[in-house]
Amino acid sequence: MALADARAILPDLACCAADEAAEAATLAAIIDWCRRFTPLAALDPPDGAMLDVTGAAHLFGGEDKLLDEIETRLAAQGFAACVALAPTPEAAWALARFGQERLIPEGLRDEDLRRRLGALPLAALRLDDTALAGLAQAGLRRIDDLILRPRAPLAARFGKPLFVRLDALLGRVKTPITPHFEAPAYLAERRFAEPVIQRETIEATILALAQDLASLLARQGEGARQLDVSLFGVDGSVRHLRAGTSRPLRDAIVIARLFREKIEAAANVDERDPLEAGFGFDLVRLAAESVERQDEDQANWLAPAAEEDLADLIDRLGARLGVRRVMRLERADTHWPEFAVTARPFSLSRPERHPHTGHDAQIFAEDALPPRPIRLLQKPEPIEAIASVPDGPPIRFRWRRVLHDIAAIEGPERIAPEWWKHRALTRDYFRAEDSEGRRFWLYREGLYETETARPRWFMHGLFA
Amino acid sequence: MAGEPLRLRPTLPRGNSAQNKGMAERLSLLRRDIAGIAAAPHAAPAGAARARVPLGAARLDSMLAGGLAAGALHEITAAAPGDAPAAAGFVLALAALFAASRKSPLIWIGEDFAGLEQGALYGPGLALHGIDPAHLVLVRTANAKDALWAMEEALKCRTPAVVIGEIYSAKLYDLTASRRLVLAAQKQGTTGLLFFAGPVRAAALSSSAETRFEIRARPSPPQASAGNRIPLPGLAAFDVRIAKARAGPAGFSRNLERDSREKPVSTFSHPALDHDKFHSVFWSHREVLFRDALSLPLATVAGDGQDHPPYRRSA
Repeated sequence: MALADARAILPDLACCAADEAAEAATLAAIIDWCRRFTPLAALDPPDGAMLDVTGAAHLFGGEDKLLDEIETRLAAQGFAACVALAPTPEAAWALARFGQERLIPEGLRDEDLRRRLGALPLAALRLDDTALAGLAQAGLRRIDDLILRPRAPLAARFGKPLFVRLDALLGRVKTPITPHFEAPAYLAERRFAEPVIQRETIEATILALAQDLASLLARQGEGARQLDVSLFGVDGSVRHLRAGTSRPLRDAIVIARLFREKIEAAANVDERDPLEAGFGFDLVRLAAESVERQDEDQANWLAPAAEEDLADLIDRLGARLGVRRVMRLERADTHWPEFAVTARPFSLSRPERHPHTGHDAQIFAEDALPPRPIRLLQKPEPIEAIASVPDGPPIRFRWRRVLHDIAAIEGPERIAPEWWKHRALTRDYFRAEDSEGRRFWLYREGLYETETARPRWFMHGLFA
Repeated sequence: MAGEPLRLRPTLPRGNSAQNKGMAERLSLLRRDIAGIAAAPHAAPAGAARARVPLGAARLDSMLAGGLAAGALHEITAAAPGDAPAAAGFVLALAALFAASRKSPLIWIGEDFAGLEQGALYGPGLALHGIDPAHLVLVRTANAKDALWAMEEALKCRTPAVVIGEIYSAKLYDLTASRRLVLAAQKQGTTGLLFFAGPVRAAALSSSAETRFEIRARPSPPQASAGNRIPLPGLAAFDVRIAKARAGPAGFSRNLERDSREKPVSTFSHPALDHDKFHSVFWSHREVLFRDALSLPLATVAGDGQDHPPYRRSA
């Protein structure tokens, strides 16, 4: 119906432009929230959520109670929802939209299932409009009309999908759902009758959950690499805290400490309510999202394992400051000074191995390098330098408004650009010491007369 | 479990005297323990915290009673803003000293602003300064508060050879903050170096650190260049002033009272006259040692054109 027609019928019709992005975001948030009922929650665009509650319904007191709970909780958040539960995803989809009843229990006989679903209109098969119109012209309106009819002529006219959908609806073909979030390998959760708000309570809960999770992991001989704490608010919001580890981990105290750093980091932003608890959380879940095999090490009585000690420190620093702020230096295969070394996040990089010995040491020191500064400026800073001849060493220069007279100088070390990667001019590097003993690494950009008529000078690094 | 109260019972009915005697004995034991704790205020676990790492330069070592204490906090400031790179070089040299004996990681925790101002640590340069970059863990923090927190966390760890904190200003760094770091360092015997990259005057600091250095860049020993009038720069050189040393021969500090409990070990010169002066040292990254500027024979300086390994030419 056109808007003008609608307005003609109802003049004070409220109307606003559809915001598809916002709707999709809201739906995604609802899916996230739905994970409180089952880890397998799938997005069913544009307006649906599909939950696989196999084996989960009894936790909520049965299927009927589960449906009630979802409905009331969504209603409390201000969403009008039609819920339905059926043995197949297709049947649940159809019931929610077109059904009179909302629950078809598992394990019905084929005839019973057919009788219950038979009355649904063909639109319940999720067919496109042309196919529906065609079927309507042929006098077929309900599922029943299709079930007992010979398939070949209908399939020839309306295409294969018709019967594929029908079989899926009746459970003759199993169709999986595609969960929006990967189901975690292990999880532990606590439900609260009264919502919890206080940070201390939540931290204590996380520790208790970590102990549950640790024993689960220990039984399977695995350790967590990626952990997630989901805090389900009573108002329907879900807050996630994620922490990665640099080694498989199943020590409850270490896990709890990681999340304490996360909460502490949030507290630095918002002192009073770091977790945005609002009305509180009624479900706290700790999930190991990715796990790796972890064999039990024999405990060393004399010295606790040094590597674990460091790995825990790095995880803790990463949890509080951000994983990208804890780095290690990695050498790159280039001679261009600013690219020769990169600082990469510790968790993403592996130590370089020596090609022959296999040890991870002395990678830098072994190469006989010409002089290099201990600190490299983030960007070369232009300086004013005076040289006796255009392609000679500088005599004095001004950097950051201070004039330096050069007392000793070494160079030039000519570094040609990597023309196959980027365009740049040749650099002549000098190691210069001023009259006060401060040492600098500076360069002249461009070869005089061949590359440029006026070479420019830059400060690039500082020596000790 | 159930039998335990029964076993205790025979001692109880004997009257108060026996009970009091046991109590008195226990009290005296406790008193002795407390006296023992009180006598050693910084009773750090075993030798680790007491160990000293000699710098190599005799004058400095004598002022520091044999070297820098491991499991303690040492502060380094630059004499002038322009000396910050030299001070950073001195910090890294100290770190190399501590790391030389063991293959453990060095943790450098730097405030973002300090890195912007002075540049980021550069791997090849560190290798030439005596530090293996493969053992370096770099931590960048948004502000000084996070840097001090990260430093404390790292010091609580047993593994790192040394934890270096680089903060720009000393605004947040007070007696409490330094005490926290000192306690963390003592507990595990990990050494902490706190480097002030900004304009922080050594005299203005008041903290419970073990040692405080003030560093000035020093012209390197001249090396004649072939046919060129301007000489070549030589080894990294520093002017070092020890502004505070708790455990020196007489334990001196400009701000804190003297600790007279420790006996003077050597009297190279009178510390009271000596401690306010700058001492010139060179850093020899090959030996991983400092050298007194005076004790370095001149011939070595002149002939030692090899403070950097020769260039390797690649095709």
